[in-house]
Amino acid sequence: MSSGTEISNNISYAQALQNFLKQTEFPARELAIDEAALLERFHPDHNQENIETLQVGPNKGEPCHKQIARFLQADSRIDAADLAGARIQETDILVIGGGGAGCAAALTAAEKGAKVILATKLRLGDSNTVMAEGGIQAAIEKGDTPQSHYDDTYQAGHQQGKKELIKQLVMDGPETIRWLIQQGMQFDVDEFGDLLTRKAGGSSASRVVSFRDYTGLEMMRVLREAVDNSNIDVWHYSPAVELLSNESGHCAGAIISTLHNGRFVQINAREVIIATGGIGRVHLNQFATSNHFGATGDGLVLAYRLGAKLRELDSFQYHPTGVAFPQHLSGTLITEGVRSAGAYLINALGERFVDELKPRDIVAAAIIRECEQGRGVTGDDGIRGVWLDTPGLEARHPGILQQRFPKLLQLGVKSKIDIRSTPMLVYPTLHYQNGGVVIDSNSLSSVPGLYCVGEVSGGIHGRNRLMGNALLEIISFGRRAGAEAASQCQSRGHKKIGITHISNLRRELMQHGMSMTTKAPLLFPDYVHYDTDSQEDGNFGFGD
Amino acid sequence: MYNNQTTKEVTLTINGKSITAPASLSVIQALWHAGYPRVEGVGCLGGVCGSCCVMIRRTESSELQMELGCQLLIEEGMDVFFQIFDTPSHHSYQLSEINSSWDVQTEFHRIFPEAQKCRHCHGCNKACPKDIDVEKGVDLAISGHFRESGELFVDCVMCDLCMTSCPEFIEPNHVGQFSRRVTGYFDIRPSNLINQLEAIRTGELDVNTDNEPQS
Repeated sequence: MSSGTEISNNISYAQALQNFLKQTEFPARELAIDEAALLERFHPDHNQENIETLQVGPNKGEPCHKQIARFLQADSRIDAADLAGARIQETDILVIGGGGAGCAAALTAAEKGAKVILATKLRLGDSNTVMAEGGIQAAIEKGDTPQSHYDDTYQAGHQQGKKELIKQLVMDGPETIRWLIQQGMQFDVDEFGDLLTRKAGGSSASRVVSFRDYTGLEMMRVLREAVDNSNIDVWHYSPAVELLSNESGHCAGAIISTLHNGRFVQINAREVIIATGGIGRVHLNQFATSNHFGATGDGLVLAYRLGAKLRELDSFQYHPTGVAFPQHLSGTLITEGVRSAGAYLINALGERFVDELKPRDIVAAAIIRECEQGRGVTGDDGIRGVWLDTPGLEARHPGILQQRFPKLLQLGVKSKIDIRSTPMLVYPTLHYQNGGVVIDSNSLSSVPGLYCVGEVSGGIHGRNRLMGNALLEIISFGRRAGAEAASQCQSRGHKKIGITHISNLRRELMQHGMSMTTKAPLLFPDYVHYDTDSQEDGNFGFGD
Repeated sequence: MYNNQTTKEVTLTINGKSITAPASLSVIQALWHAGYPRVEGVGCLGGVCGSCCVMIRRTESSELQMELGCQLLIEEGMDVFFQIFDTPSHHSYQLSEINSSWDVQTEFHRIFPEAQKCRHCHGCNKACPKDIDVEKGVDLAISGHFRESGELFVDCVMCDLCMTSCPEFIEPNHVGQFSRRVTGYFDIRPSNLINQLEAIRTGELDVNTDNEPQS
């Protein structure tokens, strides 16, 4: 992104670290800022060069990030001929995606008696959920209310969120925590057994409950164990490549590709729940990402092709504190919880430059500003960032890092940095897709029979998400989608199942003279050479 | 996305293939850099999903170590093997079928009958890439100290390496998960949460979406 400012006076990693370690006081520069102007100039969403207008599909004529438009308007991976030889499997409900949202939906549907297949591209739990660190929001403290939670969420989303979805999310908060405890999840509690809470950036109350900085790991371990001990049929390494529909346009299942042998399987399902997560591995604007390996926006393209309306395709969250050094860990998330606990952000001049607990888009834009205006740390090899002052936090609260941030300490060890005495260099990392498939309060998309849950869906977070609302959303809406889909399974089966929407897609792409060379869903980032190797020996590792 | 601008390169062996890559890369990044597709055994790339277990041997040492490939920086002469197995659990249980916390110990021994056969061979401890005292965790569970057992497994990423190393098929990581889950299920009863649930149930707390909040 270009800001028009000359990059100058950059300070090397070693020099900046030396300056930092010499200093004991970090003066705060004027922290009051014109937030709108800051976002306009430095937040990557605001760079109009990255936006184009969609030519085909339900969002035709609307703005979309170029790198997303590329695969939304791409050719399918399959032809009608592929279906001819495919094995057919019948089920009540097909869940696509094996993170927290998919598990919550599958568990709830199975509990209601539905026959469930959960198909996931990698393994169950290889997801973004497992990496979530900060926690999960629920208004549970005395004095806090769902109304405040609602107000905070709506404001942080720049008043673009869908009101009834936010209301449902916040009202579900406490019940969601209870459900998780009933699955066997642990949370940090105080000496009286009350849930400990902390304050998220952009929030008016202490509302984030967590388990150390391992909230997502703890959640995913429990959900995976619950799914593995249920009668849900889990298909690993089985990405969905196309949805199916019936004679009236109702979603009727999906074509699944089996990575082990490259064969297609046709799963006919009464109802389909997409829980495929986000797009971090598309590396929008060349940013590093905190996302897992499979986050390539597969659900967006599957739903879009079947006619589902999408929203906010130009709004993404860059988490302020991704690892900037060492490079092999670049993009890895450092939890906002550290800033909630009181850690400062310090530029190369040894100044604080932003209120660290502003919403994520503001803090991320401020870090980018420091770096673009020559006050960032610039190492060799194009590394750039600002310091996350964990040594200062440790000095003010001795023992806090060990006690509350074991994952971050481990990350330090892997980086060969003792974060109690040396700060980590951080830079915004592509973290979250704010928008997604338009849904109603049962997570139903605009296509009958097709539900979308979690990051793949849109409308709750508006144009910016609060810490802790994603984990709440995946469980709250996952359970609702699972229950609603199970209740719809009583209806009569589909008469005719097929992929007629693919011929329509191809015709439309051709009419608009669009390239058919890109095949979507992408499934994997291009740097792993997934499509360049033969199905026989390459796609699934080598020498196996 | 990975950055490969570093000029210094190292040569190592991964699954028997000789690979040369910039020294700033992880094991998985090095594979991709060398043009080898690698999908199986890659997951969160954040060190917590347990997908990318590798067994490594460094130069000048014959000792084998277990690590996570996404977080392991490559070194000159390193020998790396991906450890990819299907490891389905042969234990099955439902928390809801344990009637009260008085029954947990009995249920544990019914579900995990092999646990008390632990030979204390340290195989699980040696296999753990997170340096968890797995064996002690199993011992604590056998004696009914589930909270303390579970506490030892806080860092566990369920990579299943302890399962594959156990000669008695104890599945120590699932023992750890059982310990953690019964602790949450029976012991966590936060009064702040319970009060708020009640206030929502009675309608005392609700949300008005027409209320235009102060920005």
